[in-house]
Amino acid sequence: MPPALAAEAALDRGALATALCGDGAAQAKAVEGVLRNSAEATSGDLAWAGTILRALLDRRLACLGESALVLDRAGAADGRDAATGTARPVTGGRSPVLGLRQRALVETASGAASLLTGADVELRRAGLAALERRIATVPEALLLRAASAETDPGLRAGLAAIAQSAALSSADPARRLAAIRAVSEAPSGAAFSRLSALKADAAYGSDPAFRSALDAALARVERAVSIGNGLAVLYNGLSFASILFMAAAGLAIIFGLMGVINLAQGEFIMIGAYATYGVQEAVRRLAPGWLDAYLLAAIPVAFLASALVGIAIEALILRHLYRRPLMSLLATWAVSLFLINGVRVAVGSQNLQFAMPPYVSGGVPLYADFVVTWNRLFAIAFAAVTLVLTLVILKRTPLGLAIRAVTQNRDMAACLGIRTRRVDRLAFGFGSGLAGLAGVALCPIYSVNPGMGANFVIDSFMVVVLGGVGTVVGTLVAALGIGGANVLIEPLYGAVAAKVIVLAGIILFLQRRPEGLFAMRRRR
Amino acid sequence: MSGALDLSPGIPAARRRGPILGGDPLLAGLVGLVLAAALGLVLLPPAPYLVNTVGQLAAFAILAVSLDLVWGYLGILSLGHGLFFAIGGYVCAMHLLAHAYAVTGTAPDLMQFMGWKSLPVYWAGLTSAPYALALALGLAAAVAFVFGLASFRSRVNGVYFSIISQALVYVAMLLMFRNDTGLGGNNGMTGFSLLFGWPMGAPGVVTGLAVATLLSLAAVLVGARALVASPLGRRMLACRDDEARLRTLGYGTTRLKLGIWCLSAAIAALAGLLYVPQVGIINPRVLSPDLSIEIAVWVAIGGMGRLGGAVIGAIAVNALKFWLSAAMPEAWPFILSGLVLVVVLGLPNGLLDLATLRLKPNWLQRAGPQP
Repeated sequence: MPPALAAEAALDRGALATALCGDGAAQAKAVEGVLRNSAEATSGDLAWAGTILRALLDRRLACLGESALVLDRAGAADGRDAATGTARPVTGGRSPVLGLRQRALVETASGAASLLTGADVELRRAGLAALERRIATVPEALLLRAASAETDPGLRAGLAAIAQSAALSSADPARRLAAIRAVSEAPSGAAFSRLSALKADAAYGSDPAFRSALDAALARVERAVSIGNGLAVLYNGLSFASILFMAAAGLAIIFGLMGVINLAQGEFIMIGAYATYGVQEAVRRLAPGWLDAYLLAAIPVAFLASALVGIAIEALILRHLYRRPLMSLLATWAVSLFLINGVRVAVGSQNLQFAMPPYVSGGVPLYADFVVTWNRLFAIAFAAVTLVLTLVILKRTPLGLAIRAVTQNRDMAACLGIRTRRVDRLAFGFGSGLAGLAGVALCPIYSVNPGMGANFVIDSFMVVVLGGVGTVVGTLVAALGIGGANVLIEPLYGAVAAKVIVLAGIILFLQRRPEGLFAMRRRR
Repeated sequence: MSGALDLSPGIPAARRRGPILGGDPLLAGLVGLVLAAALGLVLLPPAPYLVNTVGQLAAFAILAVSLDLVWGYLGILSLGHGLFFAIGGYVCAMHLLAHAYAVTGTAPDLMQFMGWKSLPVYWAGLTSAPYALALALGLAAAVAFVFGLASFRSRVNGVYFSIISQALVYVAMLLMFRNDTGLGGNNGMTGFSLLFGWPMGAPGVVTGLAVATLLSLAAVLVGARALVASPLGRRMLACRDDEARLRTLGYGTTRLKLGIWCLSAAIAALAGLLYVPQVGIINPRVLSPDLSIEIAVWVAIGGMGRLGGAVIGAIAVNALKFWLSAAMPEAWPFILSGLVLVVVLGLPNGLLDLATLRLKPNWLQRAGPQP
């Protein structure tokens, strides 16, 4: 390091304070000096410079002749001398005004000071953001110093990215090649666009080594990004399919058992989501410390709420309509109209606000741009647990046995002493409860409002039609197929085309197998 | 009047007794009422908004009759009839805009909105009203044919058919919400200025449209009555009550269902065609699944399996809706759902049950149509 720089490194506090009280040119020169030396200055000097620069930005700096005072707040009666720290009255002082260019410089320099000396992460992050806005003026040594001292992983990544892009445009060809390689090691959409921008560089035409390195890096990043995007599509498809499965499983069981399609199934989802909201509010009132656990606490509540509403509807309305399935369509539609508008009047039609516990917010970047988001993973895990529980209930419990028996042959089951009406009611409650569970899983992902059910209900009908009635496995396969097809086609041809193609596919499929994928053998 | 309705002289009178095939005084009365209303609108024209309301109600009644033909007489509940209604409506709107464009040179909004210099190629020829009429009915029938063939051939019926038809109308709605379809997208089509060269808002045009709709309703009723009273109509009922048996007896039920299904779609398109110039707008919301279910609700409330029931249901529910959605919009959904539940649970044949209840105390002995 040249001795002249080292000598400059020790900050002349008095001179800086005087310069900041001077005219625009003096301010600019002094602040540029602070920024240039920020990599070598001692922490104490930097912290002091940060204080005075922030005071200047906030108009808390008062100039009295040769010295500057830092005030606690703008317009305070007295402050402390910037250079010596002694308290003095402000009388007669004036606040220096910053020009546009000087303000930007001061912001950058104070950002550098906060990044290097800030006590908490938020302060350092704000400092880095200020530096990023004018990255061209930031000396590289400053970023290296910050990177070596930084402890927060997020900030370290941000610093590394900034240092990398600085290296990419460096004048030294060897450093550039190294930087290109380093960027392609961590592929992402941002890395791709950063590398593509280099194609416009003059060296791309003149330097063959640079050219081949860049092309190879681009190809590598592109492949990784498309794999990552493919994974993201599959992941979204899986989470969509999970919701569809939870909505459709109950529908399929009810349809298999009673031949009734419940047009209000979407509203049971809505009830589940509103029950979750109710649990959240109750926890907030009664045990604020346990707020994070409300989603888990809501699971049984939402199930029971939807199941009870379902049982009530079965007992009051559907019981009378088993021999007229088309009329039951209209009846359940009326119920859905009633529930939507009832909730709209009682709660309001605005979207509900949910607190996001840590286990459903954020995610882990897994590969390229593919991030495993916790909220979707929550839905997938939830659906998996629901699937297992449903299978256990259907295959291992007396109720499941009765449901399967009545589905296969109602009259024979009745002859054998199964109380088919009671089985119907319990199954209807169970199916409605499953939709309520879908509502819980939806809370962290979708907006919750009275009309939310309508977005899922037609897709879940298609799942039932495709999967075949009364089979959980068929429902699962159909949900995966429809959810997957929707998200696979969507990026290629758009959301509408996805729905058109899926519907056409289902109608064509029914030409071959009118009973659906997994038709249960039964007598009618 | 009843002479005009007695279009099935081939069937011996003794066989024409029964809930549906007997002489239908209710229908005769309704047709008379419709014709009288048309005459009344011409001779003693009330306020234009009232004329317009009557015309819209008549269009809904045609729509309800088209659904009753397949649901009440064939046992096929379509929850997607809004699609065919919308096809008629969209073609009519295209005709009106193309016609006004050709006559006055004012470009339709959607051309300006999309920045197009000319209308897309499938608008060609729509300046001609007969072509537009043929296109509306033909397109609706063609869409119905493809969908019906795929469904009936693989014996998709009952609730399955209903929810697939609902998905069909839902997908159509999503499609029409796109702006690049050349059909107005989200905003739909509006700003109709000319009908056959006359300005749209003129009282004469309003009355003319309403009278044309009423006359169409009367014609559709008489035609539908002729159909259901014919041997073909008896086959429809047989198919509704036991399709497997009819098939076993050697009748091609797929062809029968397909034919009536396409006819019903064309009638629904006719209703849309007449409806759109009267409301002055068409947009993708007519394709919402809820509206299509509402059509079934009109029929159910009026009384399915009776042509008169469909008309009464459509007019009663919509008149109530016109009144209540202005007077107390909050309460209307509750009233509608309550009405549906009462009818579905208590009056399996709709409001007509109330009439039979009073007029014929032995109604219990009659087997009402079971959907």
